[in-house]
Amino acid sequence: MSDTTLDAAPAAPGRPSALRMLLRDVGGAFSLVLVILIVLLAAFAPWLAPHDPFATDLMAVMEPPSARYWFGTDGQGRDIFSRMLFGLRVTLGMGVASLAAGGVIGAVIGFCAAYYRRIDGVLMRLMDMLLSFPAILFGLALAAIFGPGLTSVIIALSIATIPLMARIVRSAALVVMGLDYIEAARAIGMNDQRLIFRHLAPNCLSSVFVFSTLRLGQVILLGSALSFLGLGAQPPMAELGAMAAQGRNFLFIAPHISVIPSLGIFVIVLAFNLLGDALRDALDPRLRI
Amino acid sequence: MLRHAAHRLMLAVPVLFGVLLIGFMLMQIVPTDPATVRAGPAATQEVVAAIRAELGLDQPIWVQFGLYLWRLAQGDLGVSIINNMPVTQELGATIGPTVELMFASLLWSIPAGIFLGTVAAYWRGALLDRAIMAVSVAGVSVPVFFLGLVLIWFVGFQWQLLPFTGRGGPLWTWEGIRAIILPAVTLGGVLVGPVARMTRTAVVDTLSADHVRTARAKGLHERLVVLRHALRNALIPVVTLIGLQIGFLLGGAVVTETIFSWPGVGRLAVGAILSADFPMAQGTIIVLSAGFILVNLIVDLLYAVLDPRVRQS
Repeated sequence: MSDTTLDAAPAAPGRPSALRMLLRDVGGAFSLVLVILIVLLAAFAPWLAPHDPFATDLMAVMEPPSARYWFGTDGQGRDIFSRMLFGLRVTLGMGVASLAAGGVIGAVIGFCAAYYRRIDGVLMRLMDMLLSFPAILFGLALAAIFGPGLTSVIIALSIATIPLMARIVRSAALVVMGLDYIEAARAIGMNDQRLIFRHLAPNCLSSVFVFSTLRLGQVILLGSALSFLGLGAQPPMAELGAMAAQGRNFLFIAPHISVIPSLGIFVIVLAFNLLGDALRDALDPRLRI
Repeated sequence: MLRHAAHRLMLAVPVLFGVLLIGFMLMQIVPTDPATVRAGPAATQEVVAAIRAELGLDQPIWVQFGLYLWRLAQGDLGVSIINNMPVTQELGATIGPTVELMFASLLWSIPAGIFLGTVAAYWRGALLDRAIMAVSVAGVSVPVFFLGLVLIWFVGFQWQLLPFTGRGGPLWTWEGIRAIILPAVTLGGVLVGPVARMTRTAVVDTLSADHVRTARAKGLHERLVVLRHALRNALIPVVTLIGLQIGFLLGGAVVTETIFSWPGVGRLAVGAILSADFPMAQGTIIVLSAGFILVNLIVDLLYAVLDPRVRQS
């Protein structure tokens, strides 16, 4: 295609790029570094883990943090640090998978509602219905139907994400739809598909991006809570929420077994929440108070 | 007003129907035969067949759904696979403690959140504002179980100040009050952050409104300006947003009940799902959903009462 360069909008002169705005903010820079670090730790878990995350050492059960076991060992003598590195993969993977699945479906619904005004009412009422359920209930219902497991959790969190994303995309798309260039594109006879993908979608990206970052934190929090309840990741799989739950039985003898993985979840969610807030400020200065 | 209420009700009905349909489907895929369960292990073939006919299990599926709704209307949710107790009976005993716990959490966390949010909005940009907002972001990010476990470890175990397992008794007894403190602090703890954030945004908005400027211009005491003119108007969006947080609170309640062995619906639900007690799981999910729909409806109507603009539109 020859006109691809025309479609890529250059940054408006005189306005600093979103990335620069983000980095100028202390919280933004800090959270970006933290998120990158978390992703790298998860990506290189097999190379970084000092021990086998599944190998049990009955001679070293419930050991407190030490030079050999940085975060100590759990009730079966497994290295908590190594398990957390691998658990990070499961936790992040669960979050990203449900955000991606729910987000894509929600975005399509949102675009359709904004673009095809005739079905807007029906679609949004459907979304209202979905929205009137808390995610935890989807989690409980799916675990009851399909049995506890990571798949049930991912499906539940995806469903819970659909209406939220649909609303965000719809309202962002409605704003863009009112702009002159959409009218112009229509006037020159551009077809729906091209209009949506070339002009509508790219201009809604910043809202989607901010929402996704914040939502990822929430999804991870919810998913790990479901795993903590025993409805998500099943043993011996390493998942941060499930690890915290396993340590609950030894809370009074060895609190580190459940406290350290819980603290891990806290740090991850905090990083995504801070990044989401900073992104919102950077991408949409109007929202800053 | 009536129209608004009717609209909300119209939305609640299909949602409730959906819940019941999911509950019904759950019972369809159950690997065990409800008639065999109800008859007990010693029952003969004839007895089981009689119960099948009585429960309508030999009927077509849509007739069964009708029968299911009919039984539900009469408060019959079947019997637990695990202990053969009627589901309604066990559920009845757990609803009270859950409502109690949620109420106790809201009782302290909403005033605390509104107070922190107002303070942050008034001194916006100052160190105090930043500190409050930092704490509230942390509050939004903290897993409920982390908060619960830390409280159990320090307050319950190390310092031995408060009990942390189960319900101590009715709330008008000293033991009952003592036992609910830690669970309520845990559950409310995750709500303070969001409420503070929402209040701050709403108060910042109203502080720059015209009527607040007028109030200041006529020399009103600053405390009155903030409390009576800014905060009161800001409370309307806060109430709706608190309504939206009820779902969030429900999720927290399930976890909190599990950690503190609080005898509520959430703990019963998790236990039933983990032990594959399908009738019980179905009952708890229906009760939790119906309760949630009801609370949402009440919040919606409350919103209309608080804000004359909604009533008229």
